[in-house]
Amino acid sequence: MFLRLVADSFGRRPRRKLLTGAALALGMAVVTAAFSVSLDVGDRLAHEFRALGANLLITPQADSLPLQIGGVDYRPANSGSYLPEQDLGKIKTIFWRNNIVGFAPVMEVPTEVLIDASTNSTPSSPIKTTLAGTWAHHSVALPDGRGYATGMDQTNSWWHVDGKWFRDDAPEAIVGKSFAARTNIKPGDTLHINSADRSTALTVTGILSAGGPEDDAIVAPLQIAQQLANKPGQYRRLYVSALTKPEDDFARRNPTTMNAADLERWSCSPYASSISYQIEQVLPGVDAHVIRRVAEGEGSILTRVRTLLWLASFAALLAAALAVGASSAAAVIERRSEIGLMKAIGAGAGTIGFLLAAEQLLLAFVGGGVGYAIGIILARILGEKIFGVAPEPSILVFIIILALAACVTLLGSAIPLHRASRYEAAPILRGE
Amino acid sequence: MPDRKMFWRIVRRLFAAQRGRLLVILLALGASAALTAALLNLQVDARDRLTREFRVFGANIIVTPRDTKSSVAGVVTLDESTVEKVRQSLPPRASADSYLYLVASVSAANSVQPVSAVIAGQRTARIDQSSLKSAIVTPRDNKNLCLVGVKAAQQLHLQPGDRLTLQNDKTQESCISVIAEARGDAQDSQIVVTLDAAQRLASLPNKVSLIQLSVAGTPREIREYIAALAQNIPEADVHGLRQFTDAEAKIYTRVSGLLTATTALVLALTGLCVMAAMTNVAMERKNDVGLMKAIGGATRRVLRLFLAEAALLGLAGGLVGAAAGLLLSIWLGKTVFGVAARPRLIVYPVSVALTILVAIVSSYPLRRLANISPASVFRGEA
Repeated sequence: MFLRLVADSFGRRPRRKLLTGAALALGMAVVTAAFSVSLDVGDRLAHEFRALGANLLITPQADSLPLQIGGVDYRPANSGSYLPEQDLGKIKTIFWRNNIVGFAPVMEVPTEVLIDASTNSTPSSPIKTTLAGTWAHHSVALPDGRGYATGMDQTNSWWHVDGKWFRDDAPEAIVGKSFAARTNIKPGDTLHINSADRSTALTVTGILSAGGPEDDAIVAPLQIAQQLANKPGQYRRLYVSALTKPEDDFARRNPTTMNAADLERWSCSPYASSISYQIEQVLPGVDAHVIRRVAEGEGSILTRVRTLLWLASFAALLAAALAVGASSAAAVIERRSEIGLMKAIGAGAGTIGFLLAAEQLLLAFVGGGVGYAIGIILARILGEKIFGVAPEPSILVFIIILALAACVTLLGSAIPLHRASRYEAAPILRGE
Repeated sequence: MPDRKMFWRIVRRLFAAQRGRLLVILLALGASAALTAALLNLQVDARDRLTREFRVFGANIIVTPRDTKSSVAGVVTLDESTVEKVRQSLPPRASADSYLYLVASVSAANSVQPVSAVIAGQRTARIDQSSLKSAIVTPRDNKNLCLVGVKAAQQLHLQPGDRLTLQNDKTQESCISVIAEARGDAQDSQIVVTLDAAQRLASLPNKVSLIQLSVAGTPREIREYIAALAQNIPEADVHGLRQFTDAEAKIYTRVSGLLTATTALVLALTGLCVMAAMTNVAMERKNDVGLMKAIGGATRRVLRLFLAEAALLGLAGGLVGAAAGLLLSIWLGKTVFGVAARPRLIVYPVSVALTILVAIVSSYPLRRLANISPASVFRGEA
């Protein structure tokens, strides 16, 4: 009988029910979309922030002070220490290996350049500049036998090359744009490079605009720099770009003074400092520094944007709750005469309340479900528009949405239901 | 005009008759206006705030001497007259650091052997927001302190407070060391002194190696500023630090897109909420409409009556709600950005207008009442 009454109520006034259900579904759709996007936004933005490039810098522990001004190192070529290139694969073996999105070693060599321009035949006098050896797009052999491709195109994504990047195994180079403008170098020209007693010839494949000291330098494969400096298989600095969690007070604690439980918690959070600590563990003799300027800026902006979006989602939730609550309240008020009739034929306040609540709950689940489906589509559209990647639908959001829909409809109908239970049957039936 | 007088009398009566119900509607309208105003204000403010927040990355524009042919340390320099020009062109909330770099041999009181290190002379000019006049801020000018990077301090076995002697050719400077926090960039291995000290040390009076600017603004504003500055100082090369300008532009677009999307969603939803509430009230007016029609009210006049009621409700709810919303956004700004959001006056009329609009639009179902025939209402049908 109870089920029949519920079914009847839906069957008799489908339009009215449809309206309430639609309001519910729309409200829940907006909340779903807002939540899905908010849940996803941290990861997405963290990826966007990798456009800032490396946030970790790795240098030899016992290095002499770099004497670098405007991209030119005034240190004699043989001073300072170097690190072995062959160890680099180990970086992808640390606990947070999947958070490391790229790395590139760098070795700078002071050089003198003679330009053999194809268009201009007059021999020019040698020009002093720095040659930075690095990886453009290099495949690193990992200890487990797989290859991992990384290089400057990952860590310094803002570098823009007019022409082509050099190939890592060819005598090619790209030339910084200020240097190129000064010397009239064009892609296709050949550079004769001298460093101390060694020399080599490189073909220019592109012009680099980096917006930094590299604009005034030559960038070539790491191998070439190693040959010129007579340091085969070595590098001087390593830039690592990693996805990290914004640092809090806990992240800044010194790992050597932590107890076992804290140390585990610390190493199991992808803080920039814990990743750099793990890198120091796998690469002997290095100092890993967090590049504060990048890491801290990233952290503070991420935290703020996330809070802002959660606030907006919360506002969406509030608005949806108001809308759904109002419409379910109206649905109950409307049925005053029905309630009066039921009372008149002997139904108790409890039974009526239960019946109406069951109806509302049914509506909430159907409306919430439909709303979730619409919301996921909405979130996909939004995600694709803003980040180019759609957020994954999450079960958690689905459960939250259903619970929320039920809560809000029940709360919305609670006050009118409470009043309804006190109605006297006679005046209602008289139409007063 | 008696007709108009009667009209407003009925409207007044409509309000007086159903105080409880109207309070609920007013609450819904007020809440929606508050939400609208708060979100709109926060949205405008957050964009602005975000561009300022990006300045934690430090400098985003670099001014270097145009002619860098010679690569002998410290010889290619800019004249301080250029610094002055740059300083005069600074927009509000920007700062400019001028640097002079040189390599000098450094020895601490207890070190065995002098160490070569990069000395950076620094002077900061900052634009004060209130006065819009730039002022030179030189905290280390008179104190004779130098800021030693952690790596340099390590190399020198330096304790904070040790006296350092810097020597370049025949000139010599001494200062008391302060050890800087690790930054992970070039400054870790440099020693920062005042620009004057560096100029004396390098024997390059009134010269700087480069100027770093930190300018807040949308990506477009920054591009325009760079172009204007480059025209203003032809003797120097002005360019954005692509690492930061590019990333900032990218992130700014994403975040502002997100904000717009969420704001639009929430606004649509509040509209829906108000509509639901207003529709219910409208449907309850069936009896009133029936009665008015029965005693000869034209459908249009009856509709006008209810629309006037809705508009008045919207106005009242909007005025109060939008004010509350602005206060709310000030508080929200404080929780998110740590600084109270500045209330924008334009937001107030916009949200009031939006609320009135929503109130009127949501009375649209009243049109259905036009088809009601009085007889069926009185019979208790429909």
